Amino acid sequence: MDEKCIVYLDGRQIGFVKDGAAFAQEIRKARRGGVISGEVNVAYVKKFKEVNVNADRGRVRRPYIIVENGASKLTPDIVEKLKKKEIDFNYLIRRGIIEYLDAGEEENINAALYEKDIGPNTTHLDVDATAMLGLTANSRSFPEYDQIGRHPSANNFMKQSQGLYSINFNKRYDPRAFVLYYPQKPIVSTSTYRTLKMERHASGQNFIVAMSTYYGYNMKDAVILNKAAVDRGLGRSVFFRTYTDEERRYPGTQRDKFAVPTPTMDGYLGEHAYAKLSEDGIIEEELPIEEGEVLIGKVSPPRFLEEQTSFGIAEEKRRDNSVTLRAGEEGTVDSVMISETTGATKIAKVRIRSIRVPEIGDKFASTQGQKGVLSLIVDPQEMPFTKDGIVPDLLLNPHGIPSRMTFGHLLEMLGAKAGAFSAAELDGTPFSSKGKDLVDQYGEVLQKHGFDKFGNEILYDGRTGKRFDANIFTGVVYYSRLWHMTALKLQVRSRGPVQILTHQPTEGKPRRGGLRFGEMERDALVGHGASLLLKERMLDQSDKAELWVCSQCGDIGYFDYIKNTPICLTCGSHDLMMIEISYAFKLLLDEIKTMHILPRIKLKSE
Amino acid sequence: MADIKDNETSVVPGEAVGTVAAQSIGEPGTQMVLRTFHSAGTASVVVSKGLPRLIELIDARKRPRFPSMHIYFDKGISSKYEKVREIWRMLEEVRLSSLIKGFDEDLRSATLTLNLDRDKLALYELTSRQIVAKLAKREGLQASAEGDIVKAKINKRESLKSTRTVFVHVLKSAIIGIVGISKAIIQQSEDGTFFIVTAGSNLEEVIKISGIDATRTYSDDPFEVNKVYGIEAARNIIANEIMQTITEEGITVSFRHVGLLADTMCSFGAIKGAGRHGIAGNKESVLARAAFEETVKHFINASVFGERDMLRGTAENILIGKQITLGTGRVRLSVRKSDIAKLSKK
Repeated sequence: MDEKCIVYLDGRQIGFVKDGAAFAQEIRKARRGGVISGEVNVAYVKKFKEVNVNADRGRVRRPYIIVENGASKLTPDIVEKLKKKEIDFNYLIRRGIIEYLDAGEEENINAALYEKDIGPNTTHLDVDATAMLGLTANSRSFPEYDQIGRHPSANNFMKQSQGLYSINFNKRYDPRAFVLYYPQKPIVSTSTYRTLKMERHASGQNFIVAMSTYYGYNMKDAVILNKAAVDRGLGRSVFFRTYTDEERRYPGTQRDKFAVPTPTMDGYLGEHAYAKLSEDGIIEEELPIEEGEVLIGKVSPPRFLEEQTSFGIAEEKRRDNSVTLRAGEEGTVDSVMISETTGATKIAKVRIRSIRVPEIGDKFASTQGQKGVLSLIVDPQEMPFTKDGIVPDLLLNPHGIPSRMTFGHLLEMLGAKAGAFSAAELDGTPFSSKGKDLVDQYGEVLQKHGFDKFGNEILYDGRTGKRFDANIFTGVVYYSRLWHMTALKLQVRSRGPVQILTHQPTEGKPRRGGLRFGEMERDALVGHGASLLLKERMLDQSDKAELWVCSQCGDIGYFDYIKNTPICLTCGSHDLMMIEISYAFKLLLDEIKTMHILPRIKLKSE
Repeated sequence: MADIKDNETSVVPGEAVGTVAAQSIGEPGTQMVLRTFHSAGTASVVVSKGLPRLIELIDARKRPRFPSMHIYFDKGISSKYEKVREIWRMLEEVRLSSLIKGFDEDLRSATLTLNLDRDKLALYELTSRQIVAKLAKREGLQASAEGDIVKAKINKRESLKSTRTVFVHVLKSAIIGIVGISKAIIQQSEDGTFFIVTAGSNLEEVIKISGIDATRTYSDDPFEVNKVYGIEAARNIIANEIMQTITEEGITVSFRHVGLLADTMCSFGAIKGAGRHGIAGNKESVLARAAFEETVKHFINASVFGERDMLRGTAENILIGKQITLGTGRVRLSVRKSDIAKLSKK
């Protein structure tokens, strides 16, 4: 038994073999010869003396070129044939030239990254060095020059960028969508980017960037935009939000109905809210709309069955169940769609459009993991300008570069500048270049056009007209606007709704809530000894309640407005006093009472 | 003059010293890492450091994970290595099980046969005779030696189980050294004198050894110090240990805050932790205790005993929505009765 290897098929033990390694090799041979499916992977685990054969779904697999006897099976003439489109990629798999391996089988191989690295023990060759990166990482330029820690954030920013996500966006009813007004393709792109035809769904624009401070306004990753550029449509996007509602059916014959609610209905919002609805209860297209206005008028049957009255079945009291525009939003009705669901009920979708011009607090990011929040929009005459009169679109603080070591950002800046002057699209495919060569190459182009080869420029302060002492690095960077925007997040409250149970202010933007004054904040005030401020926060601006307390028995009573006297139900006394107390505490007393404990409040007059 | 200085430096009445102390220790505490680093390769004693040690101290754990002692010697001894080494030999606890190559137990005749390790014996300067003598001290045990083989026989056999238990105890028994001290290392301080650092602590026994300077010998286990020297000493140990742990992380916290914490922990006459079984669980107010942990338990007990909450503390006043009695809330306006009379006349 000791000498034998356990064989697992899809994790289930099916038998033993003598020589696990040879057995695994045999399966591989069969797979390459096309005897068994190419989706079967086999891994020999020396440590546990087992062979794992996997043919189930859900395994992540990646392609490798097979190497035999120290030579890649993907020979130049096969590549030639591929180029002539005489054969396709599947041919390579069928013929055992390329195979897909899962994580288990990868442990058994000895793969070379480049063809020149193939040695006597090499079994596989990587398809390309860029294959180690995913699609997102592969579509940004010069990633290999960046610090490793910037990659995850850079990829995240790219996923959050606004762009032309779909060409038929005006036919779609996505719950929420951003469409950039003038998407551009990057001047420096990668081969993956071009292969995927990502430029058709571009999600950014080429900004003229000067790496300069601006009167302290771009400290700590803040960025400054040129007002002229913003007015010309830089970073401008449109935001779509779709509101959906459906005429539901309820048990019995009852169902919802799209209609304009009448004032007698429960939850009627007032005449003004329904003013823009048409007769069918749904709003008209191209109407400007504000917060709190109804988009889809809907009347629903009552939540509970009505009691029977002496007239037999009571007249049905229907309630208003309309869809209103979200708190703090506004826009124009872009499109209305009425259709039927598979359940044969009527469905209505209303798409609201609103234009989002860049404003202070919006988030921008380059593809190199350099993000920033817009802190100021400066009039063009106050922006710095070059000797040629070029005013940058964006001012980036140079202090954000050294600590993050995003050299790719600088390289892109220089490269795109050279590309802009020579009207050429440049290549920034990962692992395809040498940094020094690129800098020389770009420098040559820049010098040819009469610029400094390192991209530095003489800048003049727009405010004073004086020349800056230092030369400032200026270039072009592909910047994206991310969907974290002020307009969607800004919220204020002085007074507003409270929770029914606790009488405390609500939480969260959709409920017009406040910001929680939590335990640690409370401790801070205690630590300062600010007793009245603390009381104001915890009581007066929260859940202050007035309560009648019996002076005799200490239980809570109430004021009887008919008899015009307070009364204690526990002892029948009329000798009660009113106290100001936190409603949450009253709730606590009620809960203690449910435990069959009577808490008594003993009052003492001061 | 001293009076003026005292006034200047004392805390303002109504200052929330406890809250400020908690914040001052708690905030830097968030920067401490949970992981402890061990330096490999050096001859040293394992001591818990960082956050785990801080938690251990503040929770007042009865058994610290790695207690340690610093043993100092009298003037005549401390500079003489040989004499220090003599005392060192008496410290480290050596168990019988670590002195043998192997053993054989015969349950039928209730005999334990031990095969002693000659090299180990030599290391501790022991003979098989000494071991026999040590074993013979145990009640109901007969021991004899034949070269390296030591036989121990139980006189009165009861059950097989009890026989085994005795065997296990015999193997675990300390032949030399002080119970609890698993490792001792002699170290030399900068002035050339020697001292011993130990893993494990037994202050009570160690200070009995002649030649040891009991006034300087230090244990980092507050409970042991409390047992031997009393609560005031234990308070100092707690405060010093917390202070040292925090300082080692490169964080500065004023000793006042740490001292206050240690004072509070020891204010009951015994060491109490900062949890629901310690400081927080011994609060006067029902509401304050219920607001912290185990709400239901506190309310039920309060109802059984008819407890009354006078609403004097901070937590309960925030709960009901009254002005707290700290800081600006501490000041009360009082009027003399005679003045009231004057006012009412007007």
